[in-house]
Amino acid sequence: MSEYTYEEKENFEGTKVKVLGPTYDEGKPVEKDDWQAKLGSRGDMLGYLRTALRYWYSKEWYGSEKRKQEA
Amino acid sequence: MSEDKVRSIDGATVELLEKARKENISTAFTRADEIKPCPIGIEESCCKICAMGPCRLPRSKKDVAKERKGVCGATIDTVVARNFARKIAAGAASHSDHAREVVETFIKTARGKAQEFVIKDEIKLLAVALDFGIAIEGRDIKDIAIELGEKALKEFGKQHGELIYISKAPLKRQEIWRKYGVVPRGIDREVVEIMHRTHMGVDQDYRHIIQQATRTALADGWGGSMISTDLQDIMFGTPVPVLGRINLGVLKEEQVNVIVHGHEPLLPELLVVASRDPEIKALTEKAGAKGINLAGMCCSANEVLMRHGIPCAGNFLQQELALVTGAVEVMTVDVQCEMQGLQSVAECFHTKLITTSDRAKIEGALHIEFHPEDGLDTAKKILKMAIENYPNRRHAVYIPDHSQDIVAGFSHETINYLLGGLFRASYRPLNDNIINGRIRGVAGVVGCNNVRTPHDEGHITMIKELIKNDVIVLTTGCAAMACGKAGLLTPEAAQQFAGSGLAEVCEAVGIPPVLHLGSCVDNSRILIAATAMVKEGGLGDDISDLPAAGAAPEWMSEKALAIGQYFVASGVFTVFGTTWPTLGSENVTKHLFEEYEEMYKGMWAYEPDHEKAAQLMIAHIDKKRKALGLEKARERVLFDMAMRRALE
Ligand code: SF4
Repeated sequence: MSEYTYEEKENFEGTKVKVLGPTYDEGKPVEKDDWQAKLGSRGDMLGYLRTALRYWYSKEWYGSEKRKQEA
Repeated sequence: MSEDKVRSIDGATVELLEKARKENISTAFTRADEIKPCPIGIEESCCKICAMGPCRLPRSKKDVAKERKGVCGATIDTVVARNFARKIAAGAASHSDHAREVVETFIKTARGKAQEFVIKDEIKLLAVALDFGIAIEGRDIKDIAIELGEKALKEFGKQHGELIYISKAPLKRQEIWRKYGVVPRGIDREVVEIMHRTHMGVDQDYRHIIQQATRTALADGWGGSMISTDLQDIMFGTPVPVLGRINLGVLKEEQVNVIVHGHEPLLPELLVVASRDPEIKALTEKAGAKGINLAGMCCSANEVLMRHGIPCAGNFLQQELALVTGAVEVMTVDVQCEMQGLQSVAECFHTKLITTSDRAKIEGALHIEFHPEDGLDTAKKILKMAIENYPNRRHAVYIPDHSQDIVAGFSHETINYLLGGLFRASYRPLNDNIINGRIRGVAGVVGCNNVRTPHDEGHITMIKELIKNDVIVLTTGCAAMACGKAGLLTPEAAQQFAGSGLAEVCEAVGIPPVLHLGSCVDNSRILIAATAMVKEGGLGDDISDLPAAGAAPEWMSEKALAIGQYFVASGVFTVFGTTWPTLGSENVTKHLFEEYEEMYKGMWAYEPDHEKAAQLMIAHIDKKRKALGLEKARERVLFDMAMRRALE
C-alpha cells in the first residue's frame, strides 16, 4: 500500500476523508471471481447461509429486530 | 447543434439517428415528432371502459373547480384511480408472467426435461427452499428443486393467506402491510381482482381502488419479480462482478451479429452455449465471417451480461438503431419493450427479426418458438439462420465507434460478500459508513427510456448529482445501461464522479459508485439489499427509516409504475420524471404523494427536472439521517475490506 499517495478531502458533512486520487488502482475484474465456488460441501453451504445470510437463515441473528421476535 | 443531438446524450445514438433520417427510416424518434401526446390522455382524464363513453373529463379552462363526471356518474377521481390501477395490473402481470415461464422451465430443468439447463447454484437453491419452508436435510438437489418449483407455481394461483416472500421483509413493514390490508394472497388473484374492481360500476372509491393497486404491486415486487430473480439465479448462477462492454460499437462488421432483445433469459442462455458450439463455429468460418458476435439489448442484455460478460448493444431507445447499422443478421425478441417498428426497420436491411415466445408475435417477423425441451436445438437453428444471412448484407455497414467498459453483476449476495468476505459477509460496513457519514445514503435509480425526454440524459444527470453528493446508487434495467455508456459502472468512476466520502469507500471495497444489479425483475434484489441493511441494525427497523430514495427519471412502461408502487408501499420515497399519470385528479395525486407518507412511510413525487429530482432525493435522505440522529458524522475507522477478504 505504501506506493499509494492519499489526498485529504472533505465529505458532504465537512468530515476529513482520505482518497487515493490519481494513484487509485482501477481494478476491473478481468476474470470472474466466482466466490461461491469456495463452498464445496452441503455443510459449507449451510454454514454460509447461517453466517453470511444470517438476516434470514440464523436463529441467533435478529439484528434490528432483536427486541421483537425471530426474523 | 443537430436536432438529433437534442434527442440523446449518447454519441452512438446521435450518429445512427442522423443515418436513419438521411435514409428516411422511421424510428420511435421520428414517429414521436409526428404524434403529440393526447392532452386528455396524458393526465388520464378519459374513461373508455364502457360503451356509454368514452367519457373525456378534462378540467374546464373557464371553471377549474367544476365537478367532472362521466355518464355513469363516475368522478374524475374514480376514473384516474381506475386507469392507474389497470396500469399497475399490466405491469405486475408482465413481471409475473415472466416469472411463470421461469418457474415452468425450472420444474422441467429439475426433472431433467429442459435441454442443457441444470441447477447451477445449489447455495441459492437451499436458501430459497428454506424461504419456502422446504425440508432440505439429506435430500438431493433434484428433489428439493422439484418441490420448490411446484410450491413457487402455487404462488400464482393461491386464493388465501400470504405470499411466502412477504415474510422476508422487515417485521415492521409486514405489520404496516397487514394494517392496511395489502398483503398479497396470490399473484394472479390480485391482478384479476383489479380487472374486476375497475370494470364499469364496481369499485368507485379512489382510495379503495388504489389499495388494491398497492396489493397487486406488492405481488409483483415481493412475488413475481422475486421469484424470477431467485429461480433464474438457481438455474443460471447468482451474478458476480464481471467485465463487459456496452453500446452499439460492440457490433462487429466482420462477424455474424445476433442481438437478443427482450426480458426472459431462457433462450439467450442457450444462444450463449450454442455460439460456442464447434459446428456453429465451423459454419461461421465457412460463411467467411470471423466469428459469431452475440450481443444483448434491454433486459435480456442485462441477464447475459451479468452472467457471461456478453456485450450489451444498448438500451430501449437503441433497439431500432441497432438494425440501422446494417450489421445485424438476426434479432430475437421474446416479451416486453419490443417495438413493432423493429419489423419495418428490419425490412430496410437484410435483418431477420425472430419472435420466440408463444405469447408474442409481430406481424411480418419470423416466429421460432422457444420450448425448454429442445431449447438448444432452437438456439442452434437461429444461429444457423444468422450465419446463412451474413452474405445477404445489402447496404454498407455503419457501426458507430462508441463502446465502453462496464462492470456488472452486483447481486445482493455479492455486495454482502464484497463488504465483508465469505464467512463475515455483512452489510455492517455499508451501514457503518452511512452512520459515520462517508456515505450519505442509498438511491435506487431504475427504469426505462422515454422518447419524450432526451435519451439517457435523465438517468445520467440525476445519478451524477447523487454520487457527487456521496449517495451510492443501485441501478437496474435501461438506467443501468445508460450508466454503463456514460462510464459510471467502473471502479475508476468513483474517483472521477463521486464525492470524496463515497469515493473513499469505493476505493477501499473496490466497487464503482453505481452498482449494476441486473434487469427490471432484479429490482427485487434492491428490496432484499434494503431489508438486509435494516436487519443488520443501526439504521432503524424498517426500510422507511433508511436514508434511501428511489427514482425512474425516464420511465415509460406500465411495469415501471408497478415497480414504483411496490417501492413506495415498501417505504421508499420514489420520484418519477417525464410525465405523471394521475395529474387529472388532485385527490388521487394527493393520496399517493402525501397520504401515503402517513400510511406507508413512503410516497411518490413527480419532478421532470432531473437535477431538482436528485435534490428532492437528497433532501429526503437528509431528513431520514436527521430522524436517525445522524446529522453529525461520528468518526470511525473505516474497515479495510480488501484486507479482510485477503485474510480468508
Ligand atoms: S364507465 Fe362511466 S365514465 Fe367510464 S366510459 Fe362508461 S359511462 Fe363513461
